Amino acid sequence: MQYLINGLPIGAIYALVALGYSLIYASAGVLNWSQGDMVMLGAYIGYSLHRIAGWNFILSLLCSMISVAVVGAAVKRTVLSTLRARSAPPINVVIGTLGVAIICRNIALGVWGPDAQPFPSPVGSSPIQIGNLRIVGQDTLIVLTGIGLMLLLQYFLKFTREGKALRAVAQDRMAAALMGIDPELSDTLAFATSAAMGAAAGILIAPLFFVTFNMGAGIGLKGFVAAVVGGLGNIPGAIAGGFFLGIIESVAGGRISSGYRDAISFAVLIVVLWLRPSGLFSRTVEDKV
Amino acid sequence: MDVSAFRMRRARWCAVVSVLVVPFIVPNSYYLHLINLIGIQTLVVIGLNILSGYTGQISMGQAGYFAVGTYTSSLLMMRLGLSFWVSSIAAAIASVACGIVIAIPALRLSGPYLVMATVGFGEIIRLVLVNWVPVTRGAAGLTGIPAPSLVSIPIVSERGFYYLILATVSAGVFIAVRLSRSKIGRTFAAIREDELAAESMGVPVDIYKVAAFAISAAYAGVAGAIYGSFAGVASPDNFTFDDSVAFLCMSVVGGNRSVWGALVGTVALTFFSEALRFLQSYRLILYGVILLSTAIFMPQGLSGLGPLAGAWLSRCAHSRGGRGRLWRGGEKRGA
Amino acid sequence: MSRVRRVTAGFLALALVLTVVAIIGCGRSSGGKVLKIGVVGPETGGSAQLGQAQHRAIQIACDEVNAGRLAGEWKLEAYFEDDEGNPTKSASVTNKLLQERKVHVLIGAINSSCTLADIVHTQRAGIPQITAGSTGASITEQGNKWIFRTAVNDELQAEALIAYAKDTLGIKKISTLTAADDYGQSGANLLKASAEKSGLELVAAATYNGGDKDFKPQLLSMKEKGTEGIFMWGIYTEAALIAKQARLLDINCQLFGASGMASTKLIELGGDAVQGMILTQSFLPESDQQRAKDFVDKYRQKHNENPIPHAAQAYDTVYILADAVKRCDSTAPEALRDAIAKTSGLQLVTGSPKFNKKGDDVGKRVLITRIDSGAFTLVKAIVVGE
Repeated sequence: MQYLINGLPIGAIYALVALGYSLIYASAGVLNWSQGDMVMLGAYIGYSLHRIAGWNFILSLLCSMISVAVVGAAVKRTVLSTLRARSAPPINVVIGTLGVAIICRNIALGVWGPDAQPFPSPVGSSPIQIGNLRIVGQDTLIVLTGIGLMLLLQYFLKFTREGKALRAVAQDRMAAALMGIDPELSDTLAFATSAAMGAAAGILIAPLFFVTFNMGAGIGLKGFVAAVVGGLGNIPGAIAGGFFLGIIESVAGGRISSGYRDAISFAVLIVVLWLRPSGLFSRTVEDKV
Repeated sequence: MDVSAFRMRRARWCAVVSVLVVPFIVPNSYYLHLINLIGIQTLVVIGLNILSGYTGQISMGQAGYFAVGTYTSSLLMMRLGLSFWVSSIAAAIASVACGIVIAIPALRLSGPYLVMATVGFGEIIRLVLVNWVPVTRGAAGLTGIPAPSLVSIPIVSERGFYYLILATVSAGVFIAVRLSRSKIGRTFAAIREDELAAESMGVPVDIYKVAAFAISAAYAGVAGAIYGSFAGVASPDNFTFDDSVAFLCMSVVGGNRSVWGALVGTVALTFFSEALRFLQSYRLILYGVILLSTAIFMPQGLSGLGPLAGAWLSRCAHSRGGRGRLWRGGEKRGA
Repeated sequence: MSRVRRVTAGFLALALVLTVVAIIGCGRSSGGKVLKIGVVGPETGGSAQLGQAQHRAIQIACDEVNAGRLAGEWKLEAYFEDDEGNPTKSASVTNKLLQERKVHVLIGAINSSCTLADIVHTQRAGIPQITAGSTGASITEQGNKWIFRTAVNDELQAEALIAYAKDTLGIKKISTLTAADDYGQSGANLLKASAEKSGLELVAAATYNGGDKDFKPQLLSMKEKGTEGIFMWGIYTEAALIAKQARLLDINCQLFGASGMASTKLIELGGDAVQGMILTQSFLPESDQQRAKDFVDKYRQKHNENPIPHAAQAYDTVYILADAVKRCDSTAPEALRDAIAKTSGLQLVTGSPKFNKKGDDVGKRVLITRIDSGAFTLVKAIVVGE
């Protein structure tokens, strides 16, 4: 049971990252390989503001999310828009965003150095004992903030004009355009929001994992796995996928084998893809036509 | 025979001769080492091009087949004393088997789902290599991998490997080109352009897709076998996800529709990676920029510049059109 | 153009080409007594902190030696190359240093897989190679007479830790949590062998992949099995995380670690969780040895932080080379190699180097240290024999 509880915070992080991938895929239909590095940037910017400049945690979180959102929008403008204009194959977006990821990672290496940086937790680290389960402050913060952000996102998508526009574009781009919605703007918004989600994930996880310049790569990949498991483009699916992956990793790592833990996660992934190609939590099975 | 055909013949002979004397005109064996590395990587990328360029399936797990090739061949040579030639064939077979294993679930997948499956597969292979210690010696890897010997003369120098790799790459190129021009190649193209249409025309799409995976795995497996003896050592660190990504980049940057694209992409990326070393840590930032720029400004890859260059050259030389790309598939852009 | 002009032009062109080739071909031979040292390490990528530390330390050492004329008439010139922690790239840059720069000796690499890849080429070229950071067992087990190692001995560390656990702390059940790379796997094997010899029970042997962030599954499993001591073998980033997560799970047993993670960064990142942790290392930044103090001060001055053990080992390696070249007064590979093999009598930061037949440095100090109140304190110094 403790394994389950431990899987939750990491699951929330995967969920936030997965949301980023799904949001962009739903709206723009492309894979953004730099999503993981948005997590890293968010953590570093948060670190600089909170630890070095001494700002308070919430302010650092918000500023970081906003700055990284700007970066996300910039990525969209430079990479996606230009590629769209030239009708390039989708693989080029992957390579292009991969280039962005490499650039981000090495700029971070140059600016902040290769050493891991500690990030103090805003809620202290002494755990609470409930029955025979232990719950840690930072973990709870992650799960609660994570869920809060996800709810915020749902609210945004369902009840605001821009959010509804995004959903319209995701459903049928051409029809949305005909209705007067600017799909390019929606895409930019999708990129910005995904980046902000990633940044939040980065700051939330920083006290637990420290801030390193290559933290984005691993989390990005796992987040992507979570998004695919939940069904790419499926927002609630991404959330479910994230938690699902987090819990599976925790249980597999503890009960089966720590060395093969990642292999087990990937094997589960391949099995899921084989049995339900459009994701575990998708409502419809994707048609090839 | 007319002038332009004669010129082509002469050009071809010049090319062949210059390729054969390369080991003797490079300043030192470092360059030869790089060229050899490029050769081995080109083999993998040709295979990748067959998979992604010809049939449109993207793979980010080529390092997995490469690893299987290296370890299979090296272990057979070291544990069972088999010769390099037998071991390489076994390595190719093992890789093909892996290719088929991943191809079957992949049949139902497309786009990012397919990418994910191949990533997962590559990682699983790497983790098996790290954890299956009794066989693979785990993270410590293999050392003292024997060199191939041709009629009891061992091939150990860069020069020797150059000719071995040249022969293998030439064979690989030859096969790939023949493939692209054959009925199989045209079927691959048909699948890439419009899978549903191909299916409705009675093409057993599934079999062709699995075949494409198998072929790309075979290329990577053979390349892996050569790499094992070339480097003398092998460890899971050689076959990481980053390496799969690198192969994909070479494929896309060069242009994944043609065989020459594989060579161009590998040469370009290796060249940039090495030539930029003087920039120290800024090197990788520039590498990322190059990747980004190529993706944005040259969607067909560098070899897409081929027909442009060819047309320009032909205008200059007043002869019939340049050779341009080898692949004469459809010009339709990907969806 | 007249015939004479054409011939002259051709001749001049040829001469120019030959000169250029000659200049390039000779490398940068600056004349005089120069020892060219090639340095290979991961300056980017996952082990960047180790590679960059090595780079800085070697630079400091070379500058010191040259400024103080500590190698007699010889000057040291270091050429640095980044191998990104990738064995293929490592072999490439080794080739480059050997063929283009024509270095006389190679310091490298840090990742064992990279060192092994490089050895193939230094051995072929017949150039001595010293690794200041790789601890993989197979490196010195190949009967290769060109490779030397100045990294602190893992076997001794494992034995020292187990002995301390058993004799001083009375621990009976232990578990290991090691990195799934060469360093970690070899550590795991050494610990297991040592534990068996000493009669301690190994209740769990778990591993983690480099870059992993979540160790709770492994820790929970160990807790259930009743471990009294957790032995870690990896680098400080994961070690700090493991320590923190262990405390969060209410695992309060003794933590142990080896030199790979012994750095002030471990204390900085681990905070309270690593207080009381026992580590073996060859170098203590707070050492009262004058030499170590000077090195630490100089490193701090330049880079604003304490040097990690890899830095100290790399620093000492340069001094070994300076001493060797001074003694043999030549850059001929065989002479240089023999001179290195005969090194003795030097008192350096990490001990007094002495190479055995396999090329391992058996003069390295092994210190058992404990983290008390935010710093490493010396518990016991182990004297090493042959």
